[in-house]
Amino acid sequence: MADTSVLRPDLSLVLERITDGFFALDGEWNIAYMNAEARKLLHAVDDCLGQSWLTAFPKARGTLFEREYGRAMRDQQPVQFVEYSKTANAWFEVKAYPSPDGLSVYFRDVSSRIEAQREIERNARRQQALIDFGRGALGGVSLHQLFLDAMDLLREVLEAPIVEIHEYDRESERFTVRYVSGWPPYAMLKTVEPLLAHVAYVVRTGEPFVCPDVRIDSRARSLAQLAKTDVLSCLTVPIGTPLEPIGAISIYFPHTRTYSVGDVRFMQSVAQTVAESVNAFESNRRMAQVLESIRDAFVAVDRNLVITYVNSQMARYFDVKPEDVVGKPIEQYMKMFDVTGMALRSFKEALAHERPVTYDQELNGRWYETRLYPFSNGVAAYTRDVTRRRTEEQRILELNEQLERRVQERTKQLEVANKELESFSYSVSHDLRAPLRAIDGFSQALSEDYGASLDERGQNYLQRVRKAAQRMADLIDALLRLAKVARATITMSRVDVTAAALTVIGELRAAEPERQVETVVAPGMWAVGEPHLVEVVLQNLIGNAWKFTRHTAAPRIEVGRNGEGEFYVRDNGAGFDMAYVNKLFGAFQRLHSTDDYEGTGIGLATVARIVHRHGGSIRAEGALERGASFYFTLPSAKE
Amino acid sequence: MSKPYILLVEDNPDDVELTQRAFAKNHIANDVVVLRDGAEACDFLFDNSKARNGRALPQVILLDLKLPKISGLEVLERIRADAETRLIPTVILTSSKQEEDLLEGYRLGVNSYVRKPVDFNEFVEAVRQVGLYWLVLNEPPPGVGGGGM
Repeated sequence: MADTSVLRPDLSLVLERITDGFFALDGEWNIAYMNAEARKLLHAVDDCLGQSWLTAFPKARGTLFEREYGRAMRDQQPVQFVEYSKTANAWFEVKAYPSPDGLSVYFRDVSSRIEAQREIERNARRQQALIDFGRGALGGVSLHQLFLDAMDLLREVLEAPIVEIHEYDRESERFTVRYVSGWPPYAMLKTVEPLLAHVAYVVRTGEPFVCPDVRIDSRARSLAQLAKTDVLSCLTVPIGTPLEPIGAISIYFPHTRTYSVGDVRFMQSVAQTVAESVNAFESNRRMAQVLESIRDAFVAVDRNLVITYVNSQMARYFDVKPEDVVGKPIEQYMKMFDVTGMALRSFKEALAHERPVTYDQELNGRWYETRLYPFSNGVAAYTRDVTRRRTEEQRILELNEQLERRVQERTKQLEVANKELESFSYSVSHDLRAPLRAIDGFSQALSEDYGASLDERGQNYLQRVRKAAQRMADLIDALLRLAKVARATITMSRVDVTAAALTVIGELRAAEPERQVETVVAPGMWAVGEPHLVEVVLQNLIGNAWKFTRHTAAPRIEVGRNGEGEFYVRDNGAGFDMAYVNKLFGAFQRLHSTDDYEGTGIGLATVARIVHRHGGSIRAEGALERGASFYFTLPSAKE
Repeated sequence: MSKPYILLVEDNPDDVELTQRAFAKNHIANDVVVLRDGAEACDFLFDNSKARNGRALPQVILLDLKLPKISGLEVLERIRADAETRLIPTVILTSSKQEEDLLEGYRLGVNSYVRKPVDFNEFVEAVRQVGLYWLVLNEPPPGVGGGGM
């Protein structure tokens, strides 16, 4: 205690009050003074005063504390440091001031600060490790390598002696150990029939299972049985989610262990990365299956035209193994197909303009179509053998050409035929009429000059000869008209159907002024057509109506247009039997005897031909002695 | 100067006979010279033909279209091209009423185009009107034939 007297009482009071630990050593390393705080921090006994420092704190031998204090006294220079004290199980920040007769030491417990700092550093290291791990996973390492990397990471960062990865099979709802490391050899057999309550728990809940001591956690009852295998603590996290479980990762320790939030988060991050990779692998696998199953050959390249994927069909085209071409420029595999450089240009074009490009190539007599679809970081190319399609297309082209040639031939033939028909009509009109005229003329001459020698019967015969000649002349004229309609070129213009009908009726009235026929013509009817031909239609139809009402008591003719836009000419005359309606529009077809109603049988054929040549249609309705109606359409005109 | 006459170019003897009968029925007493084809007609009409034997040119020409050797339209064309004959009234008298023939006939400068009807009575009437018009009513250009029947 005498040593305390070296300090003045007031100073001693001050030193007791400061919150730092403080002690003083004399020149012989004996403890001259120690305040209450220092005693507390160092778990020192009261009677350590006067004791040698190393006797009082034997654990300090050989530590930084001893070295630094010695250096301070030797050099007579203050020292300052932070070091872990085994005596106190704490980190101390120390400042020591030497004097010629001793050393004054101030220190404080900075354990919490140091721990925090170490935690930050640890976390940073873990973060970095996780980043590296994730980079590896993204970089396309195999799934197998990824699991091995994950285990290495956990062994290294969490210092886990045992790591185990379970896979969950959704169909059988069973767990299988996929990867394991660190079990002592004799423990392996026991984990084959795994005690999986903790694994099932994390997979079902999605929660981590943190078990500092398997002996006191009821959920780890099964693990407790593993105590014999030196497992006393474990941490298990799920891979995947409860909805889409993949499995679980566990780390086991042969001692009890507390797990920090950082530890758990780290495990979860590793599991997350594993899950993402497994999912990515799975979707890649599915994608690959799709790309294998399509008939097309497929290759994907990045923006530098380096191959990132090929399916086996494309690899066959390239004559390589798929795994050998990934990462190589596509150009070197296309050379053999791409003599003109078109394929490469197309890839560049698809990339530059971000639009799909399609091109065809011929190789060894077969045709291939390639479609390029640009996407965010490259181009996807689908190639298929289109030889058959092209052959068919070619065949169609040839057939079309053939057809075209035939059409031209036929057209030529038709033109020739038309010319022949023309000269034929010419001959008919000219040469056939001359004999008829002779028959008629000489019959007349006979009748006039030699009539006296003929009896009434002879005269009658001559009349018949003349009548027949006249009829034949009419037939010839009608035939010529029909032929002319067929050949006429149609120049469409607006036709006033109402006016044309009225004109025709006017002509008929003028020719037979004695006849009383009621006529009704709807006003304002217009059509589009060849005016002259439309007139011929009306002449024939109205002319027929006029003719076939000759023996009708109150004849009536109506020209109009119905709701469907059809023009019609209707009469209440002799009509016809609908059974023969099909014969109405044929040339030389007549449903009445010439004695009853004169006619050539060509008029309606001419009408039908004109209507058809206008793209219209014609039909008839009628009944014997109850009149007839003829309906026809023409291209319509706006009023 | 010889008597005015009608030149009938017609290859069909029946038509020739009927035409002459129609002239007779209509009391057209003018001489009728009949030629049987286009070549004969040309020989007769052009180059102070010997075939005409010093006779004047006809007062009116009745021309069929469909003629052997040289067609009626060609004869017409040559009539209109020749300085001596170009003013002679020329009437196409034919069975054809093909539009092309009508157009070509008028284009070449025919004076009338008459279609021969099959009915003899109508034919007689047509010949009467043609004769009446071209031989009586119509004043021929100076130097071509002379009036009178």
